[in-house]
Amino acid sequence: MMTPKIMSHAATVSSKSNYLKNTGRSTADFATIARAPLRFTVNRRITSRDLQIVEAANELLEAEVPEPEGVASNVSLLRGFNATIPSAEKGKSRRRQTRNVDAPTLGLKKLGLNARGLLAEDDHDGQSVASEDDIVLVNETTPKAKRKPRQSLATTKTLGKEELKRQRSEILRDKENIQVKRTLVNNEIAEITIKIEALDSIRAKLEQDLLKLQEEELELEDELEGVRERMEFESSSNKLQTSSVHHLPPSSRRKRGPAFLPSEHHGLPPGVAFMTLSSHSAPITALDFSEPYGTLVSAAQEDPQPRVWDLLSGQEIGRLRGHTGTIKCLQVEDHVCLTGSEDSTVRLWDLRRVEEDEYLDIVTYSDAIGSDAGDGDVAERSRSIRNGSSSGSEMGKETAFVRALEGHSKAVTSMYFEDDCLVTGASDKTMRQWDLTTGQCVMTMDILWAISHPPNVSSSGLSNSLFSGTAASIGTFAVPTPPYADGTWEMYQDFVGAVQFWGYALVSGSGDGAVRLWDMRTGQPHRTLLGHTAPVTCLQFDETHVVTGSLDKSLRIWDLRSGSIFDTLKYDHAVTGLQFDSRKIIAATGENPVKIYNRTTMQHSSLLTNGHTRPVERIRYMDRYLVSGGRDATVKIWAL
Amino acid sequence: MPTELPYAADAEDSLSYDELQVLRLQYQKEVSQSHITVQTKFNYAWGLIKSPKREHQVEGVGLLQDIYRNEAVRRRECLYYLALGYYKMGNYEEAKSFVDRLLEKEPTNLQAQSLNNLIEDKATRDGYIGMAIAGGAAAVGALLLTSLVRRAVRK
Repeated sequence: MMTPKIMSHAATVSSKSNYLKNTGRSTADFATIARAPLRFTVNRRITSRDLQIVEAANELLEAEVPEPEGVASNVSLLRGFNATIPSAEKGKSRRRQTRNVDAPTLGLKKLGLNARGLLAEDDHDGQSVASEDDIVLVNETTPKAKRKPRQSLATTKTLGKEELKRQRSEILRDKENIQVKRTLVNNEIAEITIKIEALDSIRAKLEQDLLKLQEEELELEDELEGVRERMEFESSSNKLQTSSVHHLPPSSRRKRGPAFLPSEHHGLPPGVAFMTLSSHSAPITALDFSEPYGTLVSAAQEDPQPRVWDLLSGQEIGRLRGHTGTIKCLQVEDHVCLTGSEDSTVRLWDLRRVEEDEYLDIVTYSDAIGSDAGDGDVAERSRSIRNGSSSGSEMGKETAFVRALEGHSKAVTSMYFEDDCLVTGASDKTMRQWDLTTGQCVMTMDILWAISHPPNVSSSGLSNSLFSGTAASIGTFAVPTPPYADGTWEMYQDFVGAVQFWGYALVSGSGDGAVRLWDMRTGQPHRTLLGHTAPVTCLQFDETHVVTGSLDKSLRIWDLRSGSIFDTLKYDHAVTGLQFDSRKIIAATGENPVKIYNRTTMQHSSLLTNGHTRPVERIRYMDRYLVSGGRDATVKIWAL
Repeated sequence: MPTELPYAADAEDSLSYDELQVLRLQYQKEVSQSHITVQTKFNYAWGLIKSPKREHQVEGVGLLQDIYRNEAVRRRECLYYLALGYYKMGNYEEAKSFVDRLLEKEPTNLQAQSLNNLIEDKATRDGYIGMAIAGGAAAVGALLLTSLVRRAVRK
């Protein structure tokens, strides 16, 4: 009976139903195909929602069906449904109905409203007759009638055994419902707690991201500063013709922006000392370098000859001969090097003249004090000093030495120079300002005088906690340092631990623990920052902050304008060297690793991989290039 | 622990409009707080499925599918409810596949077995009706054809 027409009809129909099934499974059985006409005849609108559901069904069937556990096994959905639908409450209200007692109207509502001071709305209808009925009925019993003892409300009605049984079972079921609800709610609470924790951790990560952004912003500002200086430098150097020994690009001490580095430097792993310079045999006392991968000068205890290194190759180029005492401080700017020594002199050196093929012989360099070969006469330069003749012939002289500055009477322990101006601090408790072009001392500032004539008695309090500062300033100053991490200690005798100046503002840190701000035009200190309880060993300042480190194991950050302490970092040992910028403070704190303090995130970290084997004493860094010298007599170079 | 499931007859027993409204309000309140508990969703979905209106049933099944997708622990129960929902809607293929899945996991479940039987019966019955209609349509079509042919022949 199946004509071709019907067959094609059936074929299209079956293909349609196949389409609806997504042909994931081919159960095109009798029932499926046969029902298709029913679909068309029984007029059912197939909405998009319908199709959605049907398609979703197949996808869902792919999903796994695990064993129900936890809440799901304890409280099935249906139980929960029965417990939480509104009709679950019906039992309770029904029971309450059964306990309703028919009592004459008491007008309780009106009473309640009156008690609250509100007028009962119903009474505005003015049914005075009715209202009398609303009054509490109890008083209406005629006084003559004998007052029966009032029956308790509960006894006026009997419920019957069936009803009571029903109520009991209802109540029990309601109690179970409460259990069910409780389980559900507890489960919800647990889930929400987990979600809250997850969100909290996300928030913490985002806050850290904010800090990182801040740090990057500070770095960009420094870079901008550096680029500006560079622009000025490059435009101005086009005009200048000559370049004297003392002409420099913007002072690299204060240069903030990124340095020029070989591209390989960025491939170095951060926090690892990739170069070690070891030829000293005693703890390093001072170091400085001209620029990353430039020239480094380092000095050690009991060694009057600082060594000059080429940082590209890591080889020693030569030595600076001339001093007769330990070098206590030195500074390198481009090719100019200044050293201060225990022999109370300061020497100026031209690093371009330290020959690469200088032989590290024991040929003692015959003293060239007074040799004024500051004119860089190339022809006079001799290549070899190998011949043992120390007859002081000027031909064989090492002409790196330029000039000596004399004036102090005791060891020169700290210095700072910029362009043509040098300030030194010495153990004779004075500071001197020098002009480097002439080599003359321009001014002497007496710290002892300043101590005994304090400029103003205010400053940041703590004046009583000055640790026997004044006592220490009398006579020879010598304070034992607290032990380093390896247990060694020394007698610290540098009365002036550190100096730095900018323009006319000079800052000094001294053995009485005070940090003084001087005006170099007058030579008078105008402010004293008190807080350290031991000699100040190192300091640096910028436009807003002064950072000082001291033997009292602390590092203090002061606000330059107000003179108050901004922050204090406590360490386990004496702080002997520091340098900072807007984002970090790097300090040598008497331990083997170099300590870094991140000013944005306030986190501490340290550099120890391939690091020093004895406590670090001195550090200097420029951009991402850090040099550290330690008591293990090595100088290590790090990539930051 | 075998899942507690209602017999299919329970699904025919619909809630009053007010009750369903309460459930709907509860669900919408939680939606506005953007934290929907499984129980509320199920309550509303089950109430919808029980209703005789097809749009409600469709919506209820949709909600159940959501639960199925999101809560893995509830899937076993949802298999049954989804099968029931499809059965009421008339989508017997899906209902069958869901109920089969459930029977794989719990072959001794009475409600699942009874639902299975119900679905099979309904499906074959509809099949017969369909065939009847198709047959009737075929008969009518044949009659028309013969009359056309005869008319053509006569001309």
